[in-house]
Amino acid sequence: MKVLIIEDEARIARRIERMTRNFFDKDLQIILCDSIENGQNCIENEAIDLLLLDLNLNGEDGFDILQSCVAKSFQTIIISAYTDKAITAFSYGVLDFVPKPFDEVRLSQAFMRFMTPGKQTGRDTQFLAVKKAKTIRLVNIKDIRYIKGAGIYTELHLADGHIELHDKSLEALEKLLPPIFERIHKSYILCWHEADKLIVEAGGKYSMLLKNGENLPVGRLKYKEIRHKLI
Amino acid sequence: MRRIILFITFLFLLLTSCKQDVDFTTSEPSYSVSNGPLRTYRGNTGDSIFKAKVDVNILKRNLSEPLGVQINAFGSFEVYWDNVLLGTNGQMAKPGRAEIYGTETTFYQVPDELAKPGKHAVTVVGTQSAMGDEERNVNIKLRAYVRLLREPLLIMSFVNIMAGAFLIAAIYYFFLFVNSSRKEIPVLLFGIICLFFFTLLILEYSKYYIDIPYTRFYIRLQIIGWLTFAISILIPWYFMLQFGFKKKRLFLLVFIIILVVIYTVNYGHYDLTAMLFSYTMWVASMIIAVKAVLQKIKGGLIMLCGLLLSAAINKFVVYDFGLFITFTIIILCMLYLHTIRTKAIEEAHNASLLLSSRLQLELLKKNIQPHFLRNTLTSLIDWIEESPKQGVVFIRALAEEFDIMNTISEETLIPIRQEIELCRKHLEIMSFRKEVCYNWEEKDIDENETIPPAIIHTILENGITHSMPPKQGCIHFCLSYAKKENYKQYELLTLAENRKPNKKSSNGTGFKYIKARLNESYGSNWNFESHATEHGWLTTIKILDNK
Repeated sequence: MKVLIIEDEARIARRIERMTRNFFDKDLQIILCDSIENGQNCIENEAIDLLLLDLNLNGEDGFDILQSCVAKSFQTIIISAYTDKAITAFSYGVLDFVPKPFDEVRLSQAFMRFMTPGKQTGRDTQFLAVKKAKTIRLVNIKDIRYIKGAGIYTELHLADGHIELHDKSLEALEKLLPPIFERIHKSYILCWHEADKLIVEAGGKYSMLLKNGENLPVGRLKYKEIRHKLI
Repeated sequence: MRRIILFITFLFLLLTSCKQDVDFTTSEPSYSVSNGPLRTYRGNTGDSIFKAKVDVNILKRNLSEPLGVQINAFGSFEVYWDNVLLGTNGQMAKPGRAEIYGTETTFYQVPDELAKPGKHAVTVVGTQSAMGDEERNVNIKLRAYVRLLREPLLIMSFVNIMAGAFLIAAIYYFFLFVNSSRKEIPVLLFGIICLFFFTLLILEYSKYYIDIPYTRFYIRLQIIGWLTFAISILIPWYFMLQFGFKKKRLFLLVFIIILVVIYTVNYGHYDLTAMLFSYTMWVASMIIAVKAVLQKIKGGLIMLCGLLLSAAINKFVVYDFGLFITFTIIILCMLYLHTIRTKAIEEAHNASLLLSSRLQLELLKKNIQPHFLRNTLTSLIDWIEESPKQGVVFIRALAEEFDIMNTISEETLIPIRQEIELCRKHLEIMSFRKEVCYNWEEKDIDENETIPPAIIHTILENGITHSMPPKQGCIHFCLSYAKKENYKQYELLTLAENRKPNKKSSNGTGFKYIKARLNESYGSNWNFESHATEHGWLTTIKILDNK
């Protein structure tokens, strides 16, 4: 696993590194960067799994880099002194916001979020950043009807009929999305507002009829839970 | 406003009182010297007695009021009405007795039995031994005697009120100038203008109550001429200062030349000269006012209106009063401008107080802003966990920086040594945080100098932020001081490799703080430069000597 730490204060960077090693102890590769520029190069060249980002680096605002980071496949955890930026950070779709000063316990909590599969509680993500050509576009969560896994990508099916590709996996997105989104199948996450009817087809197949008439498959294992939720 | 109302009443009174109550015609005077032949001019009569006869024809008059005669003439003479002596003005020269000079304007009462409508003859018999070249005509005016005497009183009462107001204004503005810490030229100018105008009013109307011998008649007019000249220069000058006019000197020079030309061309024509002066002044003020209006300077429009109003009034009122009304309106405009200016100064003062307290806050915020405090605390926790002893040193450095910040937070200037201490403490803290070696050097520091608080500290912060940590060795900061002939200079040289500049650099706020602090303490007498050099970064603060 590769973890990238972008932090301009040597002491703090080493602290984060130490704690990260303590948590993940097995084959872990940590890259330290002390500026946004180096960090961005690193993101381009290395396939990282987790980014630990400081928001204010050498007087530069880290939100620019944040926008491009959240569009990537890896998860991002912010470690910052600017606690008032937490809400904004969450709305961009970061996994966690660890305020400075922090201790090992708090950082471990963030790592736990990263490690635990499935849904997280109390997510506040409002946008998903999507890479388009060379720019980043923010897709409002409210516009998403459902998300379909497509290999290492995901497809965001939007209310206006458009489909956007996102670099994060369905598993990664599931952690970021608010409770209104439900994993109904190994390849589908659905926004509850779109659900209309649960249909049982011949041969023990289940599917969900959406309000716009589309049909999505429902996983056998998910069926019970979903039926319960619909009632 | 009250003064304006007063003025309008005054105007009405004048207009009504000027109405002729005696309907009469006069002939041109005919002269004869030493009982010689009649002629139409007098000539230089010297000590010889001349006789001037004017035929008057009273067409209609109110018989219940005694008739009066007003005579404007040079010389010392006796006045006869139909060969009856009405009175004397001075004492004419006789062989062995020098003339006692009469005054220019005199009033005589005509006995009722002689004042019936019809033809009469006014004869002036006297000498004009001085100023023989001055051949002023003998002018006769008939009015009710009481009115002749009362009219000057009426005029005087209003003129004195006005003069008093300007005297008070002059005194007030002189006091204001003397006691103000900022010796503002416009205030002094305004005081002088008010004083001159007061003198002008008093002099102009002193003719009503001081018997000036005809030999000195022109002295008063000359002084009035000079006063008008001075006021005509001062008023546009004042406006130029008030409206921040550029090329003041050139404009003023051209203006003075025009006035001098007017003076020389019309030498001796006192009333005409004064009138032309005031017209020129009006045009000059108008140019300034129009420019001010175009530049949208506050008060410009008021001034323009005032000038137009004064022109309008001048057109409808006899010149004698017109001049004073014009001046009064203009001075009222000036007074108004002055209050606007005072208000602006007051606002600027309040703003500067506000700025000072904002800067104080800014200074205090430096140490509690999250980026500094939370990062410092995070490093601190780490130090304590890793090596408690070093952690304690760190805490002490932090406490000392806080201490210094606390002592300087309310100052606008602090000793340079205190600023350096602050910088060194900050470097100590930063070296704990960044684990970079920072080295502080200083050169030629004058311990007696002062500097606005935390400005070098701010430059230092920038230096730390924008320097790459060296692979080996230290980042050097070198503060040097130099005293030159008309400025002193601080230079902070950062020796380190600069980070690549970013579009959204946060330099802005830090530099803003420094500039605001320099403004607060040195006005505009400073220079601030900050740029990359081959080996790092150089920041220069130049403090110019007060001019």
